[in-house]
Amino acid sequence: MSRYRFLLKKIAWSVFTIFFVLILNFFLFRVLPGDPARAGVKDPRMKKEAVEAIRVRFGLDKPVINCFQSLNPIELGDCAVNPFDTQFFIYLRNLTRGEFGISFHTNRPVSDVLLERLWNTILLIGAGQILSIIVGIAFGVFAAWKARTTIDYSALITGLVAWSLPTFWLGIILLFWGSNNGFPIGGKATPGTSSYPFLYQAGDVFKHMLLPTLTYTIVFMGEYMLVMRSSLLDVLAEDYILTAKAKGLSTFQILKDHALKNAMLPIVTIIAINLGFTVAGAIQIEAVFSWPGLGGAIFEAVNRRDYPVLQGAFLLIAVSVIIANLIADLTYSYLDPRVHSE
Amino acid sequence: MKVKYAFVVVVTMFALLLSACAGLGQSEPVVMRIGYAGSPDTLNPGAAVLAESYTMFELVYDTMYDLQLDGSFKLSLAESVDVSDDGLVYTYKIRDGVKFHDGEPLTAEDVAYSYLLYQNTEGYPWMGDYTYYFENIEATDNNEVVITLSEAIPNIDAQLVFLYVLPKHIWENEDPVEFENTAMIGSGPFKMVEYKQNEFVHLAKNEEYHGDVPKIDEVVFQTFENQDALVQAIKTGQVDMITEMPNTAVATLREDPNVEVVTGAPFSPGVTDIIFNQVSPENCPPDDGLCTGHPALLDRNVRLALAHATDKQKIIDVVLLGLGTPGTTLIPDGLGFWYNTDIKDYAYDVAEANRILDDAGYLDADGDGVRDMPDGSRSLTFRINWPSDSIDAPRMAELLSEMWGQVGVELEAQAMDPDALTAACCPAFDFDIMIWGWGSDPDPNLLLSVMTTDEIPTGSSETGYSNPEYDELYYQQAAELDLQTRKDLVWQMQQIVFDDAVYIIPFYAQNVQAFRKDRFTGWILDQPKVELSDPTSLVYVEPVQ
Repeated sequence: MSRYRFLLKKIAWSVFTIFFVLILNFFLFRVLPGDPARAGVKDPRMKKEAVEAIRVRFGLDKPVINCFQSLNPIELGDCAVNPFDTQFFIYLRNLTRGEFGISFHTNRPVSDVLLERLWNTILLIGAGQILSIIVGIAFGVFAAWKARTTIDYSALITGLVAWSLPTFWLGIILLFWGSNNGFPIGGKATPGTSSYPFLYQAGDVFKHMLLPTLTYTIVFMGEYMLVMRSSLLDVLAEDYILTAKAKGLSTFQILKDHALKNAMLPIVTIIAINLGFTVAGAIQIEAVFSWPGLGGAIFEAVNRRDYPVLQGAFLLIAVSVIIANLIADLTYSYLDPRVHSE
Repeated sequence: MKVKYAFVVVVTMFALLLSACAGLGQSEPVVMRIGYAGSPDTLNPGAAVLAESYTMFELVYDTMYDLQLDGSFKLSLAESVDVSDDGLVYTYKIRDGVKFHDGEPLTAEDVAYSYLLYQNTEGYPWMGDYTYYFENIEATDNNEVVITLSEAIPNIDAQLVFLYVLPKHIWENEDPVEFENTAMIGSGPFKMVEYKQNEFVHLAKNEEYHGDVPKIDEVVFQTFENQDALVQAIKTGQVDMITEMPNTAVATLREDPNVEVVTGAPFSPGVTDIIFNQVSPENCPPDDGLCTGHPALLDRNVRLALAHATDKQKIIDVVLLGLGTPGTTLIPDGLGFWYNTDIKDYAYDVAEANRILDDAGYLDADGDGVRDMPDGSRSLTFRINWPSDSIDAPRMAELLSEMWGQVGVELEAQAMDPDALTAACCPAFDFDIMIWGWGSDPDPNLLLSVMTTDEIPTGSSETGYSNPEYDELYYQQAAELDLQTRKDLVWQMQQIVFDDAVYIIPFYAQNVQAFRKDRFTGWILDQPKVELSDPTSLVYVEPVQ
């Protein structure tokens, strides 16, 4: 199979998967129990007419799809209804126009809500990812290089402990420590500084990012380190490494030119998957440090049955995971030419 | 080379940090930083639902009346009111010279426009309730608003107190439901500077306010999604005041020399209720009713026995760590004047509870430790449900299970999704016992209506309780214009539902807030209610010298 056909096939599959997610996304939230017109409003003062007005406004009074008025509880409807006047079709039509709808809860366009949150999440989780990848890989290589020495074992234990730490617990500990040492512990920036010079603002955001990024880095570093170490150890046991040694190459040269590229394959997989989920945010870290990211938005939207926000967020996550996987596939074929010839 | 790049990055970051620290220093405005655990859902007063939104409205908008911390009302935007003899026509004289934050004058025209908007916009969840009795609203030439009612009501102040006056020149060009209103032009003591949803609300004082101008320059509400962070923030001085905290944090914060913890009845009092499904078969709503309640709960003796078997103080100590007062009826103590202080609560007396059940014929016929119906048809095993987002309810259910177990009553406890619970509750009546709660208006009318027969099919009645005598009193008080007479009626109604053991009210929760003693002074603390984030405090606080 040529490289281009491989590429085309992968892209076609990705497009198909995204389309599938689009459809699943719609039905997934419609089978959840609960009436979005009432969720989050526990006040029984809300009159039936007011609930009805909300339903009309968000199109919830229309049948979900032909033959079904509602999916939970399942309520059969008219099959002869105009298919263009169903919630499903309106959902598809709006998507083709790039509209995700209006959030039930905040009354704002979903794209506004998500975009604002998306950048915050990418900033925080992106920084955390990059740091944990760099530190994790470096430690992993170092540990494999010094295999079965005290350094290796202490790195191994550190990695295992870090990886198994509950994120929120570590977050709280760092929050207590940080707040006593003058670090801000909530939010993304000091309120009221948006008219300050750019450098000041950047520094302010940087200070707010320190604790959550540190939490993220410690937890995820462990994973990268452990995988890198074991993968590199496998490679180092191969015959061609022995050959390289026999040729008289230094350990550094062996690692750099012969071992690392092959040992990177599993790491690429993990990085790709994790990067895809970067968009979903880290709900626990965002909650501990009140970081206004996507994870928090999703959590809130679930509680309030805010379908439009959920649909938008899930679509965003699905697309980013699929794209990240596509990139991983393509990187594979570069790192290991065997992949696309299979 | 790569090492050098890393060096550059580190140096840049340090530079950023230093500049972050150096940016302060010029003559700083006095800023009050408030930490809270929420964020407004929307700044559109008609569409808003959450209490956080209302906190902002109180600070930024004007209303005809202000609610005082003792539960009374004071004219605010109007300088005088004239009531016709039949109680149907209210003429409010609006203050002269009031200006919106954008400099435009506020006139009777804006007031009438706002009231009509609230009344006529279908998409507003409950503004329609507050404007229900308004038959005609008119602005006259000499800056007066004339409200004509369809029937005389005793509490027009309680209707107007949440009807925020909006600038007509802005709102008439917007869709009343979809308008986000982030600029929030009002005429209240504070004006909007910047709003970031789920991050912060930044307000500044309104120098041209018609009442007392705030002594502080700015107020910032910052969202902390995590309550431990909130507590830590006030401990370390990152915020000057917090509007809520977990009761578990109270003891540690009280030890902090710089922090003062205040507790008291909340501004909008809440009540937690244990609901007995006692809808009778003939009152079962014909359309939506399932009415699967346990028949024993229709018997006052059973409810009375359960009331005697409930150790409210223990519930308060365990669930609220002591921060609550034992309750009697749905009308909370936070309503002050309306709260019937004459009611003497049922004593916690297990022997008495057992005696009542024995006398009424609920004996343990099959010897399994659980009492049975007098006819032996089924045991006194009740389902008890609560909304799954409640923090207090699971522990309460556990305690009730233990307490009522002592009198031979068994509970099947199960948390439910709030939506599912609403569906099971009312008007379906598909439950035995529920733990839930209410927030109260300043006026007792709404919570009193919950126990009337008329509300059984609408879904407002949670118990299905029906008592013609009570219904009669309800309609009397709703039309009684004399304050003292109405109060007597309201007190009488509380006595009736208490005697019938319609609910068990385990407690009225308290508002728990805290502020830094070393930062600001002048908080209003000597009133029956406590709410530090209300204009009543924020207008008067000033920095500690």
